[in-house]
Formats: sequence, C-alpha cells, structure tokens
Amino acid sequence: MLTIDRVSRHYGGVYANRDVTLRVADGELRGIIGPNGAGKSTLFNLIAGHTRPDAGSISLAGQRIDRLPAHSRARLGVAIVFQGARLFPGMSLLENVMVGAHSRTRAGVLAAALRTPYQRREERETQALAADCLERVGLLSWAARPADSLPLGQQRRLQVARALAGRPRLLLLDEPASGLRSEERSQLAELITELHRTGTTILLVEHDVGMVTSLAQQIAVLDLGRVIADGTPDEVTSDPAVVKAYLGTGAHHAAR
Amino acid sequence: MSRLLNWKTLLVVAGSVAACVAPLVMADLTFFMRTVLAAIVVTGLSMLMGYAGQASLGQGAFVAAGALTVAIGTTRLELPPLVALLLAPLVAAAFAALVGIPILRLQGHYLAFGTLALLLMVQAAMSAFDVLGGAFGISGIPAFGVAGTAFSGQLPYAYLALVCLGLVLTLTHRVVHSRFGRGVRALAGSETAAESAGVPVGRSKVAVFALSGAYAGLAGALSAFFTPYVSPDSFPAVESFTYVIMAVVGGLGTVWGGVIGAVVISVLLQVLNSVSSQPGLPPTAGPILQYATYGAVLIATLLFLPRGILPSASAALGAGRRRLGAGAGG
Repeated sequence: MLTIDRVSRHYGGVYANRDVTLRVADGELRGIIGPNGAGKSTLFNLIAGHTRPDAGSISLAGQRIDRLPAHSRARLGVAIVFQGARLFPGMSLLENVMVGAHSRTRAGVLAAALRTPYQRREERETQALAADCLERVGLLSWAARPADSLPLGQQRRLQVARALAGRPRLLLLDEPASGLRSEERSQLAELITELHRTGTTILLVEHDVGMVTSLAQQIAVLDLGRVIADGTPDEVTSDPAVVKAYLGTGAHHAAR
Repeated sequence: MSRLLNWKTLLVVAGSVAACVAPLVMADLTFFMRTVLAAIVVTGLSMLMGYAGQASLGQGAFVAAGALTVAIGTTRLELPPLVALLLAPLVAAAFAALVGIPILRLQGHYLAFGTLALLLMVQAAMSAFDVLGGAFGISGIPAFGVAGTAFSGQLPYAYLALVCLGLVLTLTHRVVHSRFGRGVRALAGSETAAESAGVPVGRSKVAVFALSGAYAGLAGALSAFFTPYVSPDSFPAVESFTYVIMAVVGGLGTVWGGVIGAVVISVLLQVLNSVSSQPGLPPTAGPILQYATYGAVLIATLLFLPRGILPSASAALGAGRRRLGAGAGG
C-alpha cells in the first residue's frame, strides 16, 4: 500500500527525517512512536503532501506521490487527522465533515450556480454521508452546531469524522489521543479498531505507547529522524536501542 | 427555526418592495443607482473577504474592467449593448483570474496593498493609453437596449440594476452553500486542513477572486451605460476603500451583509454631502467629513458590532432559537 523509500527532509542543517524507509501493507495498522522531535509529524507531512522530501520517494499502491500537491493525494485516498484542532471555524459540524468529502465529489461552481439535478443529488448524498460519519464518532446530535464551539475531545472526533468522509485508503492519525480523558481514549481506540477491521490502512503516531502496543501489529520507532527499530510490539519494546532512545529523552513514556 | 425564517423572509420581502418602489418616487436616480451598483460590488467583496478570508482594496480595478468593456465594446467595436453587458463580467473575471494567480500568493495586508497597487496601475494605464480612453475618457456610449429598443431616462436602468443585484445575490447564496463554497470557507479556516480534505486551495482562491471580479465588472458595465461616460477618474481609490467599509459594516460572511452595508453607508454619505454643502462651510468640508466618518464608523462597528450589522442582528433574533436547541443543519 504505502512504500517510503530512503526519504530525507532537512531544515537548514538539521535532519527531521533521514533515510526513512517504511513499507506498510494493505489493511495494516502500523504504529509509529518516538520521543519528541523524532520526526514523526514531519513524516506525516511528507506523506500527506504538506512538505516535499529532499531525497527519496513515497509511493501509494505503486504510484509515486511525493511530488503531488496535498489535494491530489487526498483524491488518491490519503487522509490525515492533525495533532492540533485544524477545524473550519464558522461552519457547522456537518459542513466540516462535508468538506472531508471534497475529493470524492465533483460538482463545480457552474453546477452550483444552476442548481443542476446532478449537483442537488450530490449535495444530498454528501449530507447523508457526513451525517453517517458524524454518527460513527458519536457527534450526530451536534450536527448543526458551529465547529468552534466544541471541546477538545470532540474536536478530535470531528476531525476523524471529516477524514472518514473521504473514505480514505490510508488514514494518518497524528497523536489522536493527546489531551483526551481515559474514557475518550478507549472510545477512540474502539473506533480505530473498527476502522482497521473494515479494511482501512492506518498509520498511528501516538505518545501513549500503551495504546499503540495494544492496537498495532507492527511498530516503527523513530529517533532523531531515523527509523531505529521496526517490528512487533514485543520486539520493539525490548529493543535496547529503543529503550536507550526513550531513556535518553523521556523515561516515563517507556514505563507506561 | 420557523420564527427566524419568517423574520428573514419578511425583511427580505419588505426590502425588495421598498427597492422596487423607491425609483418611482425619487426625482433623481443617481444616488439609487450608485447604491445598487455598490451593493453588487460589495456582495462579491463580502464573499471574498468573509468566506474566503482574502482582502481586496482594489475592487475598482474590476469595476473599471467591466466599464471599459462596455465603453470600448459599444463605441469602437460596435457590439450590441446586451452583448457588451454580458461580456463585461466575463472580461473582468478573466482579468481578475489572470492577476489573481500571482497576487493571491500574498497574504493579509500584503494582498490588500497588492490589490490597491493593481487599481492604481489600472488608473494609470487608463490615462496613459488612448485605447483605454486616455486623459479625456470615453464618451458616446449608446443607451442600453435589447433587440432594437433603447432605454430612455433613468428608470429602466434602476430596474435593470435591481435585477442584476437579485441575480448576484441568488448566485452568491447558491455558490456559498455548495461544495465549492464549503471548500472556500474551509481554506479561510485552515489552508492545510482544507488541502488535505481535497480542496485545491490555490485554484479555489483564484476562482472566488474571479467571481468577485465578475460582480464588480457587472456593476462597472451598468454604470458605463447609465453615466454614460468612462474616464480614469471614474474609479477613485476612495471608492474601493468605501466598498471594504460597506462590507465590514454590513457583516462579512453573510450573503445579505453587502447589501445592508452598501445601503447604510450610501445613505450616510448622502447625509454628509448635504451637511457639507451648507453655506458657510469650506469646500474641503466634504472630503474631511467623509474620511472622519469612515474612521468613526469603522471604530464604532469594530467596538459594538464586531461581526457587522447583519450577523449581530440575526444573532439577537436567533438567540431564543439556539436556547431551545439547534434544528437540522445544512
């Protein structure tokens, strides 16, 4: 599904990612962990298209995507849930999620101006799809509320619903559990499990190592921009290089 | 929900009736035309600023493009007036798209000044090149008419302008509540997230800029037929500033805000005009009063109605509804 081949990205003299190679199989749920500043978010930005690699290549289902703009990658089935809120203020929850379906719909300005039958049908279908996605994350009863009125936990779920509206083949989750309470975390974990079960390929960056090890079959560990380990949760957590990387910067994560 | 809807419908109907009756009772329609044409321009500008989050201090450049299309088209190319009128928004939109591709890479204040510079360049080009009228401008624009008939007097223009305003408002409402419109509103919130949802951010910005340019061009075309004269002085920078003030006062991010802002500010300007032409006041009183009032109005709006007249009013009307819980969205 996703092949990342010796990708590097540096800012000035500092490498955020260096020779990163990852292969993610179709339908896999791959965890990515690493201490702060390991390059996890940069890697996601490279895959989603918000920054370009200095070297190396990224392919999705055999097609090179590393030079495509982000909106084209969305059309190919890449969706991302950002670490920050990144919602669309001034729009309702439903409208926020409808934007997520942008890459799957096609009615343009002219069709909207003329209210063509095709455009009206597509609008109805998009609304139904968005309502469906809101229901899956448990926010349907808030559909008409403005998105900026939501508390943080719900904002994350709204982002997940927005990503789902694109029916992604590859879903990038950047620390989806950060700032959530434990009940919200377990709801989120259930949602991720269900998405995985229905065939979505998922990349999960998470600080909560316990959550990652319980969800992912395989985990890649980044440190200082490099992949230092890649294997099953057991292999990875007992890897001396991983333990050292975590002890070096934040022992409490490994202890979880 | 239904109570608010009734209020809105009632206001729209009352406003429309007033707008249709007003030309019949007014002696001179210059003020009326100026207000309606401003409303057309400001509806586009309000969409650009409120929904897309892009500022423009130079909408006059596109008004000029539309007016020049009519002036040159009817006097030099001998196009039928209707063809010239239909062509004007297209020419203005194409012009806006062309300059929008580079200029929309600018953000915030830089974009505002970039568009202002564009307007000044258009003015300079109009006075420098005889094709565009030169220092004397273009006169002799024929009366508007369809299929052999010709408008006489001011009244038909007032209704033509009202029909155009109605079309512009309908179009704006439809576009804003569409896939394209949602993409545009999304990119104003977060370009990164919009792009990741599949919204082509650059292209969408250019498209909405072109649409606001088309509205301005339409207004320019109507004014060219009405006046019927186009010169470099027809599009002063202060008028483009006025559009921005109208948009902000009326309320950004609403379909009707532009109309309300245009009416309120136009009436205010008219009042100031009659005050400053009182005997005993120096000839500079007019501009000084105008600028001072703009400043005061902007400050007062930002202090007391930060979202503009229309959103604040409808929030007040809708407060009861929200307390009862929200209905279905869409």
